[in-house]
Amino acid sequence: MTRNLLGIRHLDVETIQNLISLGRTFKAKVTSGEKIEPMSDQVVGLLFFENSTRTRVSFEQAAFYLGLKCSNFAAAGSSISKGETLRDTILTLRHERLNGLVMRHRSSGSAQLAAGYFGGPVINAGDGSHEHPTQALGDALTIVERKGTLDGLVVAIVGDVEHSRVARSNAWLLSKMGAEVRFVGPRTMLPSHVSMLPGTLYHEMPAGLEGADVVMALRLQRERMGEGMVSSIDEFTRNYQVNREKLRFAKPDCLVMHPGPINRGIELDDISADGDHSVIHQQIENGIFVRMAALHWAFGGGAIKQAETKKSGKKVKA
Amino acid sequence: MRTLLKNGRILDPSQELDMIGNVLIEGDQVIEVGDTSTDDIDETYDCTGFWITPGLVDLHTHLREPGDTHKETIITGTQAAAAGGYTTICTMPNTNPVLDNPALIDFILDRAASPEAGGIFVAPVGALTVGMEGKHLADLAAMKEAGIVAASDEQFPIQDSLVMTKAMQTCLQLDLPIMAHCEDTSLTRGGAMNEGAVSAMLGLKGIPRAAEEIAVMRNCILSLNTDCRLHVMRVSTWGAVAMIRQAKYLGAPVTCEVNPMHFTFTDEAIGEFQTQFKTLPPLRTRIDMDSLYEALQDGTIDVIASDHSPHAAHETAVPFDEAPFGATGLESAVGVTLTMLTHRGILSPLETIRKMSTKPAEILGMDAGTLEPGGTPVAAVTVIDPNCEWVYDRKKTFSKSKNSPFHGMTLRGKTMLTFCGGEIYRDARFEERRYTISE
Repeated sequence: MTRNLLGIRHLDVETIQNLISLGRTFKAKVTSGEKIEPMSDQVVGLLFFENSTRTRVSFEQAAFYLGLKCSNFAAAGSSISKGETLRDTILTLRHERLNGLVMRHRSSGSAQLAAGYFGGPVINAGDGSHEHPTQALGDALTIVERKGTLDGLVVAIVGDVEHSRVARSNAWLLSKMGAEVRFVGPRTMLPSHVSMLPGTLYHEMPAGLEGADVVMALRLQRERMGEGMVSSIDEFTRNYQVNREKLRFAKPDCLVMHPGPINRGIELDDISADGDHSVIHQQIENGIFVRMAALHWAFGGGAIKQAETKKSGKKVKA
Repeated sequence: MRTLLKNGRILDPSQELDMIGNVLIEGDQVIEVGDTSTDDIDETYDCTGFWITPGLVDLHTHLREPGDTHKETIITGTQAAAAGGYTTICTMPNTNPVLDNPALIDFILDRAASPEAGGIFVAPVGALTVGMEGKHLADLAAMKEAGIVAASDEQFPIQDSLVMTKAMQTCLQLDLPIMAHCEDTSLTRGGAMNEGAVSAMLGLKGIPRAAEEIAVMRNCILSLNTDCRLHVMRVSTWGAVAMIRQAKYLGAPVTCEVNPMHFTFTDEAIGEFQTQFKTLPPLRTRIDMDSLYEALQDGTIDVIASDHSPHAAHETAVPFDEAPFGATGLESAVGVTLTMLTHRGILSPLETIRKMSTKPAEILGMDAGTLEPGGTPVAAVTVIDPNCEWVYDRKKTFSKSKNSPFHGMTLRGKTMLTFCGGEIYRDARFEERRYTISE
């Protein structure tokens, strides 16, 4: 049985737990050099309609460790530039006998659409401002490694929440796992209606960061400055930059996170990006292991080794 | 040839008629209504339990011809209209090329008169500005002479208030109503759905209520100032309704319409990015829907219009933000309106028909929307079974487009017969009630 990973919103707590612990298992295996049974004869298509370096490389690495073959497909120079619809592209890749698909697309909901036409396992690598589930899983693994749990933590997500798929996926995941999620930023960058999102709005950093266990800064998308979101970068930096001064409001042992790429000196200063609080490099590394977990799970793999104990002998073969 | 529609509930708002009786049609004319003669009848329809109404009039249809005939044609669109109970429809000018000159108006009227077309009256709406670009007024006088009944820039509304003022002054002089889709486009660029909790959750760019309300307010003020008749298309927010109510109170010559989608669904219907629920203005929220019911009841909303906006399947099988706005509506309007409004006591049967026939005809100044003998060029009569329960199936529709938000919905109320100078649509379920032997 194959599965789609389209977003965190529809996942239950048990699945989230399994994916995180599966990521942990893979991390242990890879770092100890232990052999992983290869998922041979399987090809996963990496379909990136939007530019991405880190996420694509991360999926390539994950596939490599799993023994999956990757087929890269970038929108530029492909049939997309010849006017092919997304539906036809997906149907084509299905008949190219790809076994699974990892897709990034600028439109919210595009992963859902692709899954409908592809049939096989589809993993959302970012759809518009909607979701980026593997980023949230990697972030969760990073937090769990440091804090031991997600339950009861206070997490402040700072910056352009309105346009952020990272913020949405993280909010769903963290709140489902028992954390308190705060969206912190100027009114121009936060959604004005959040009754259907699992977070509370804060417009001031002192209140938003007070007692926070995790401070997650979002990338300021400078291409959106033209939309009048903030009057100036200087104003945003002055009021909402995560820096030493602002981190005083958070817990002394708080973690600083960022999905990258960083606008250094805007949403993060050097001290918060490189200092003791920062777990940004672990986020990147853990991204690979949860993507291994996501690929393994989506291709129908059951629990493995130490993660196996929880699932009472229920094994599903790929 | 004498056709007797026998023992139905006659609903004719033009004469304030709500009575049980017969309608007698001889040749292509209604000759008697009520207590009719029953001699020399060639064909009798037993209408017991059914409504006999003036042919329905739709202020808002997109026939897509010329230029977008892969979505709809005048032939398929008029057939869909006939099946929905309509005998007059207004066709919108956002075609390719835009209907902004008399030659194209002639073309539309020619096509609509062709024998394969649905046999209904097609009333063209001309563009207000050349190419609907909002800059230079089109030759409205020449188009009026060619047969337009109203003017509109449809979904590319005039943003410049001076151009709108000039358009209103011109239309006042020509006695043409302006149909205005009200949207401040500076607030809606890239927007795909109502701005609110659902758009925030789905990560879709929102279209705020303010975009509609600012434009409604401006247009109402200009209408009040110029005295030009303004018809606000597809009103969707409680604020827009409140402003129109106020404008009417102040004496502005303003009317407005609602699309059945807006009183049936909220933005939550979009679910997981279902593009058949993408419409303009977008589906709003419960508060807005409740305000529409109230406004339908107190008469602030004058008309129920189908906003029939057909699109091809490949155009809607795309990510939500790339999908076009609008869905079909001609064949679902009666069923949806009766189900959502009439059977729930929001509108009486007579008021329902007023908003779907008599009032739109009055706005256009057309001889339509009445059963009075001689009141229409040819007999235009619709028979509706108000209690027929049926499941709307998009695959069984006449429209070329199968994109409907009502697919799979159980509706109560269906058009059984449409007569426009002759019988143009008959539901198979009506067959058993037809007798061809004289009584």
